[in-house]
Amino acid sequence: MYKHIKLLAVLLGVLSTHILFGQNVVRYDLTIKDTIVNFSGKEKRAIAVNEQIPMPTLTFTEGDIAEIVVHNKLKESTSLHWHGLFLPNKEDGVPYLTQMPIKPNETFTYRFPIIQSGTHWYHSHSGLQEQIGMYGSMVLLKKKDDPRFRKGIDDLPEVPIILSEWTDIKPENVQRMLRNANDWAAIKKGTVQSYSEAIKAGHFKTKLGNEMKRMLAMDVSDVYYDKFLINGKNESQLSQFKSGDKVRLRISNGGASSYFWLSYAGGKMTVVANDGNDVEPVEVDRLIIGVSETYDVVVTIPNENIAYEFLATPEDRTKSASIYLGNGKVQLTSRMPKLKYFEGMKMMNDMMNMDGSMDDMGMNMSFQKMDMNTVMYPEITGNPEMKMDNKMNHSNHSMNVKQDIVTLNYGMLKAPHPTTLPKDAPVRELRFELTGNMNRYVWSMDNKVLSETDKILIKKGENVRITLYNGSMMRHPMHLHGHDFRALNGQGEFAPLKNVLDIMPMETDTIEFLANAEGDWFFHCHILYHMMAGMNRVFSYEEQAPNPYLPNKIWAYKKLQSESNKFHFMAENDFATNGNDGMVMFHNTRWSFGTEWRLGYNDEHGYEMETHIGRYVGKNQWFMPFIGFDWRYRNQNGEVEKNLFGQTNTKDQRAVLSLGAKYTLPMLVEFQGEVFMDGNVKFQLMREDIPISPRLRWAFMVNTDKEYMTGFKYITTRNLGISTHYDSDMGIGFGVTLNY
Amino acid sequence: MLLFPLCNAQTKNQKTETVKIYGNCEICESTIEKAGNLKNQSIVDWNKETKFAIISYDSLKTSKEEILKRIALAGYDSDTFLAPNDTYSNLPSCCQYERIKQTNTKMEEPKMEMTTIDHSMHSNKMDEMQDPNPLSEVYDSYFAVKDALVRTDGAAASTSSKTLFTEINNVKMDKLSMDVHMAWMKVFENLKEDAEHIAGIKDIGRQRDHFISLSKNIYEVMKISKQETPTYYQFCPMANDGKGANWLSKENTIKNPYYGSQMLNCGNTVETIKE
Repeated sequence: MYKHIKLLAVLLGVLSTHILFGQNVVRYDLTIKDTIVNFSGKEKRAIAVNEQIPMPTLTFTEGDIAEIVVHNKLKESTSLHWHGLFLPNKEDGVPYLTQMPIKPNETFTYRFPIIQSGTHWYHSHSGLQEQIGMYGSMVLLKKKDDPRFRKGIDDLPEVPIILSEWTDIKPENVQRMLRNANDWAAIKKGTVQSYSEAIKAGHFKTKLGNEMKRMLAMDVSDVYYDKFLINGKNESQLSQFKSGDKVRLRISNGGASSYFWLSYAGGKMTVVANDGNDVEPVEVDRLIIGVSETYDVVVTIPNENIAYEFLATPEDRTKSASIYLGNGKVQLTSRMPKLKYFEGMKMMNDMMNMDGSMDDMGMNMSFQKMDMNTVMYPEITGNPEMKMDNKMNHSNHSMNVKQDIVTLNYGMLKAPHPTTLPKDAPVRELRFELTGNMNRYVWSMDNKVLSETDKILIKKGENVRITLYNGSMMRHPMHLHGHDFRALNGQGEFAPLKNVLDIMPMETDTIEFLANAEGDWFFHCHILYHMMAGMNRVFSYEEQAPNPYLPNKIWAYKKLQSESNKFHFMAENDFATNGNDGMVMFHNTRWSFGTEWRLGYNDEHGYEMETHIGRYVGKNQWFMPFIGFDWRYRNQNGEVEKNLFGQTNTKDQRAVLSLGAKYTLPMLVEFQGEVFMDGNVKFQLMREDIPISPRLRWAFMVNTDKEYMTGFKYITTRNLGISTHYDSDMGIGFGVTLNY
Repeated sequence: MLLFPLCNAQTKNQKTETVKIYGNCEICESTIEKAGNLKNQSIVDWNKETKFAIISYDSLKTSKEEILKRIALAGYDSDTFLAPNDTYSNLPSCCQYERIKQTNTKMEEPKMEMTTIDHSMHSNKMDEMQDPNPLSEVYDSYFAVKDALVRTDGAAASTSSKTLFTEINNVKMDKLSMDVHMAWMKVFENLKEDAEHIAGIKDIGRQRDHFISLSKNIYEVMKISKQETPTYYQFCPMANDGKGANWLSKENTIKNPYYGSQMLNCGNTVETIKE
């Protein structure tokens, strides 16, 4: 009995609802704690809220007042952002932009009126916490007497669904590896697209063309995940549904960097809302949900005693997560076939100019209507490998190619009511090109990261119209805080309202919104690792009232800027029989501080170090001027070396400063020129990561000091490789390479 | 050397169960076993006479469900998982075992009502209206040709075009209104010519060439003789060697007849033709 009372008290604490000035205050208490999870067979650190991952679903009705009390029991600061909600700026939950971070052991209360309905979600906006558990569904119900209440939709049984992914690697490390162009994720995913694989697939020329245009292997996503999750589970069942039931799934993509394909074993799905806004129902076979988007989908359970699989497949199709709707045997839906990467590479080659810009060949692409990635989808374009497999060559089936699959695109979304903006308001036009490069994993807008830009000032009452062009090679889910925008998708006055816009490479999309909520609002790519690389802007209302949570905004903005321009560390050393070869590097968006060394085991082989401090120039960052410092010692009895230009030096003992530059040539060969203070010059060609097979890399170096090197490395684990190389100074060697 | 710890583990955690898996022949057997077997985890031995499989697995590493799910994804039903319908229908014909009927006899009539409500909810293109338009047969066979080209199916395009040719000749011109008749006479000969050409060849490239002018002429007529259901006039800038080409479709969604699957979504609607 005592126990029951205690339980009741806890419940009351969590959900104490009382009437205040005629409005319902709905209170949630959220306790944020470190936890250990085991999603993949390994125990790893994660963050749980009220002891659960995902965070609890928060439900409100339009007109309520939300009171969410956050107890931070972590050893680090945190924050919560209410994704897609209209609220006072100070409640928006972006540390250093709308509030100070919630410190360890601090309690912070978010309180705001709920003035909209729809499927939304919430997540941490601090660092990379969203990746390790801090995401949850947020359901805002319509009032029963709302004139927009849709019978047959808004009265259906409903299930909040939040999609996410799990990696055993610490997210900070994931970010660091991406910046270092570490290809371990590609090895794990089988997407290295090495020369041997290219030759096998008959695509040697494609691969060569790709490297000529200085592209790294292309992929639709960058991170390797160990598990994909629906409501925190890889597989689960909702057995309460029976034959004939219609169920509304309120789906949010809480993944940090994964787009998900959604499909259903029980027939077509009816899309009824997107980003919390109703749309005219549209029937589809499948849809892709961008990072941080939400879709409401109605599905039917067709038969008795069968559960139907609802499948979420990440865009790279490496794995999937399922939830079974209904009771009994499970009717599965087919898995999405592997992507034809070399077809995608070929398509990219055709679209890429030599200077790294893209050419859409006059196709005027917009709003996902033309998905260039389709060339990689075997279920649409057929599977050439199947034909070659003799066993499968039965006359009655040549791999069902389903061209009649209806895939949702933004062009099909239509608002049920006109969404036009006030006609007499002044119009503010803005244009952004989404930019970035894979080689150094720098993502930006107009080739500027947040730390290189000021806030963008807008005025209350004006219509802001933004044209976005994606000139980068990846798709980006661009999210605007605090507002819904109209996606001008050809539906005229019924343009759908959204707060996240997925924009594919080479697309140009226009969005517009009425500036009606003063404050500082974040506008950013919602792929967590792109955001942390600086693909952000801030829209700031002119003459806004001060924010009580953030007294010193100028200082805070600098903090915000530095969050997405951190220095990353990288190190490597080859412990070989003929010496040690290695390097360390600290680098951020533009600057690089690096030292390379070659250390022999005796004075005759010598010891050598080269330090470079450089700055990357241009949007592809192929060019890096630097100042350098060379130091070397060896004892070869004063033997004098002559370089190609007839300049001499003994190299026995040398400490010189230099000026130079590095430039990435076609085939990704690095060309380096250097003038030393003693007048000597050196030119060098080098490439270290030619992918021969999925795990085998070939390296070579040759320079005008008549030094040369060639070697192979076999990558065994994330941090370990087996290597052999021949060096003109030290001869042949074998060793193990450790890298971090 | 590697076997030892494995055997050791197996003696501790190995489980063996017998389960029914539906299938027919030897090809089924090898597909089922290949899908179920996983190194160091599970071994499946299916008997095509009894339809029962003996599965042995390491219960720490995997489960019966995981194994049966893999087998179902390869096309074979069990009492836990049903194979995806398209995977099943892609099995070789000898493997198309008899599936247990899924339809539930208890399905009652009221369920139908629910689906009708559903239909009124989304304005679907399902409604098949009886069209009194004397040209509707021509339009319909044109759409059949277009759909065949979307599927890059030269043979079907040829057959459909034969029908189109017949329908063009069958049009009762006395039923046409004055302005429609005028428009029809302008393009009549060209329509016949293109339809005949497409019918006479199976080369998809040349069929598509003729389809450019065929579409243009159908459009000229349809502009005057509109249908009740909307038709979408669509354009792809890449077709016709970059000169661009049009076609007509009953759906607003782009399905490009000039490229088929390669560039299925290339293009956009330039005009909606509706009464």
